[in-house]
Amino acid sequence: MKNAVAHNTNLDYAIIGNSAAGVAAAESIRKIDKKSKISIFTDEKYFNYSKPLITYFLSGKLDLEKINFKDSGFYEKNDIDLRLGTRVTSIDPSGQSLITDKNEKVKFRKLLIAGGGKPMIPEIKVVNRTGHVETLKNVMDKTGGIFTLTTLDDAIGLKNYIEENNIKSATILGGGLIGLKAAEAFLELRIKLNIIEFSGQILSASFDNTAAEIVTSRVEETGSSILTNTTIDEIYTDDSGRIFEYKLKTGRMLSCNLLVVAVGVSPDVSILEGCAGEIMTDNGIVVDQFMKTTSDNIYAAGDIAKSIDMLTGKMRNIAIWPLAVRQGSIAGRNMAGSQVSYNGGFFMNSVEILGIPVISMGLSNAGENETEEIKTYKIYNPQKKIYRRIITRDNKVIGAIFAGAIDRAGIYTGLISNEIDISDIKDNITKEDFGIIQLPEGYRKHLVVGDGIEV
Amino acid sequence: MKKIYINEEYCIGCRLCEIYCQVKHSKSKKIIKAFREEELDTISRILVEEIGHNSFAIQCRHCIDAPCVDACISGAMSKNENTGVVNCNEDKCVGCWSCIMVCPYGVIKRDISAKKVASKCDMCIDEKIPVCVKNCPNEALKFSDTDDGSGVEIK
Repeated sequence: MKNAVAHNTNLDYAIIGNSAAGVAAAESIRKIDKKSKISIFTDEKYFNYSKPLITYFLSGKLDLEKINFKDSGFYEKNDIDLRLGTRVTSIDPSGQSLITDKNEKVKFRKLLIAGGGKPMIPEIKVVNRTGHVETLKNVMDKTGGIFTLTTLDDAIGLKNYIEENNIKSATILGGGLIGLKAAEAFLELRIKLNIIEFSGQILSASFDNTAAEIVTSRVEETGSSILTNTTIDEIYTDDSGRIFEYKLKTGRMLSCNLLVVAVGVSPDVSILEGCAGEIMTDNGIVVDQFMKTTSDNIYAAGDIAKSIDMLTGKMRNIAIWPLAVRQGSIAGRNMAGSQVSYNGGFFMNSVEILGIPVISMGLSNAGENETEEIKTYKIYNPQKKIYRRIITRDNKVIGAIFAGAIDRAGIYTGLISNEIDISDIKDNITKEDFGIIQLPEGYRKHLVVGDGIEV
Repeated sequence: MKKIYINEEYCIGCRLCEIYCQVKHSKSKKIIKAFREEELDTISRILVEEIGHNSFAIQCRHCIDAPCVDACISGAMSKNENTGVVNCNEDKCVGCWSCIMVCPYGVIKRDISAKKVASKCDMCIDEKIPVCVKNCPNEALKFSDTDDGSGVEIK
C-alpha cells in the first residue's frame, strides 16, 4: 500500500473473482443496470473457466478451450471489463477503494468479494536428502512432484508433470470429493493410486459407510488402494527437491513421485488482513440475508462467504457451485438496488466416480443414531450396487444419499427446500420408482398444475 | 409466450406423448425404425407417472429461475431469454448430473447411450406445437399462452 499509486480508476461495480459467484453477480447487475461500469478482477489469466471441470481437463475428456462455462462473447455482450492477471492486494472499506498489484487505486460504489477458497495444506514435515527439514506449507511451491488441484494452473502443471515424467502411479492425500474427482481422472489415465484418508472411510463429510463402500470397492477393482485411518507423517525429497518417498503415521514407507494434496479448501480471506475490523470474518466472510458484509456497500458470495444453512439455522461456509451462482446473483441484484433475500441453502454434491453416480444432499450424515425426531429410511441392493438413504427430522426430509442410481434425486431436494411433511408417504420414500405421483397431494398439485391454474 | 400445461384429470395414461417424444428425438424420426432399431439410443423426455387410475405426463417446466441453469458447471444448461426455453447443449454437457440433483420435478434424465449427457424437454422448438401436446388424445397436455414470461415464444 505504501507503493506510489500509478493511476486511479472510478468504478460503479467492482467484483473480485471470475468464477461462479462473480460472473453470476456481474450478469445480474447488468440485467438491472444497463449503463454503469462493471469490472471483474482476477489474478488468473484465463478469460473464463469452470473450476469443477479441471479434472475433466486433467483426464483428457475436455480440451482447454472447452472448459469455459461462459462463451467468449459473454463479457463483451454484457459490457463487463475483465481484468485478467490482476490481483487485488488490499481493500479500504470506508474509503470505498481497493489497490491492485498493478499499483492501481480503484474507487468503487459497490464491491463484491467472490475470490473463492484456497487449498488447505496439512502440517507435514518435508525431509530433504541433505538432512534439511521444512514444513510442507513453506516448501509447497519449491517441492517437485507435489500438487494441489483447485485451479486450472494446478491442473496444467499436473498434466505436464505426468507427461514429462511418464507417471504410472501416484498418491492422493485426502479421500473427499476433490480427492475422488482427482482419482477418477488419474484412473482414466491408467495411473495406479494410493488414496490416503485420515478418517475411517472415504467421502466421510457427506456420505455414509455403505455409499463409501460401494465407491471403495469400485476403486479397488482397478488395482488401486485406499488406506484409511492414517495420514502422511513425513515426506522425503531427493537432491533436486523432488518427492520420492513418504512415511505414513503407521510407520509404513511408500515410494512416490507424484503426490496430490486434497485435504480440503477454506475461504481465502487473506485479502482482508488490513481491514479485519470493518469486514467481519469467521472462517469465511460473514454476510446478512442480502449477501452484504458488515461493511456497507461491500458484498460477498460463493466459496468465500459464510451464510445461513437453512437446515441448521447456523452460519456456515457451503462451498458448492449452485449456491455460489445463487448467492452471486442475489448479491448482484442487491448491489444494483434491489432488495432480494437469500433464504439460505444446504450442502449438496453430485459426482460420478468410475461410472458410479453418487449424490448427497443436506444433513446426509445425520441419523447415524436415530432419535425421536430423526429417522432414516434406506434401501440397499448389493448386487446392483444401488443404495438410497433418506433422513428425516420431524417427518421432513433433511438429507439424502444416493449411490448407483440417482435418477430424480432432485425431487428430494425439492422436499428439503420446501419443508414438505412426508408422514403419509413414508412407505414409498426410498422406492426406486419414487416420483411426483407419490408426493403429498398439495405439493404434488403445486408441482404438476402450478400456482394459480384451475384444475 | 406459450407454455405446456398439464391437466392431470384428463390424462388416461396412454403414453402416446412418450412415444411421440421419443420418435421426435430419434435419429430417423420414423416410429417403426425408432422403436425397432434405435430404441436404446433415444429416450423420451416426457414422463408419464401412473398409480391406479391416477396419471399425468410431466416434462421440463422451463422455470423462470431454473435451478438446473444455476447448478450447471459446464455452461451447457441455459435459459433462452427470447423463447423462455431451458435447453441443454449436449456438446457442452459433461454428465455431472448436477441438474438432476436440483430439479424438483425430476424431469431431467441421464442419456448414457453415447456420450453421457443430460436429456430434457426442448419444447420441440422447430414445431408449431410440441409433439406431446399435438398427439395427446384427451387434451391432458395443453400448449397455451402464459403471461408470466416463463413460456415459449412461437413464430
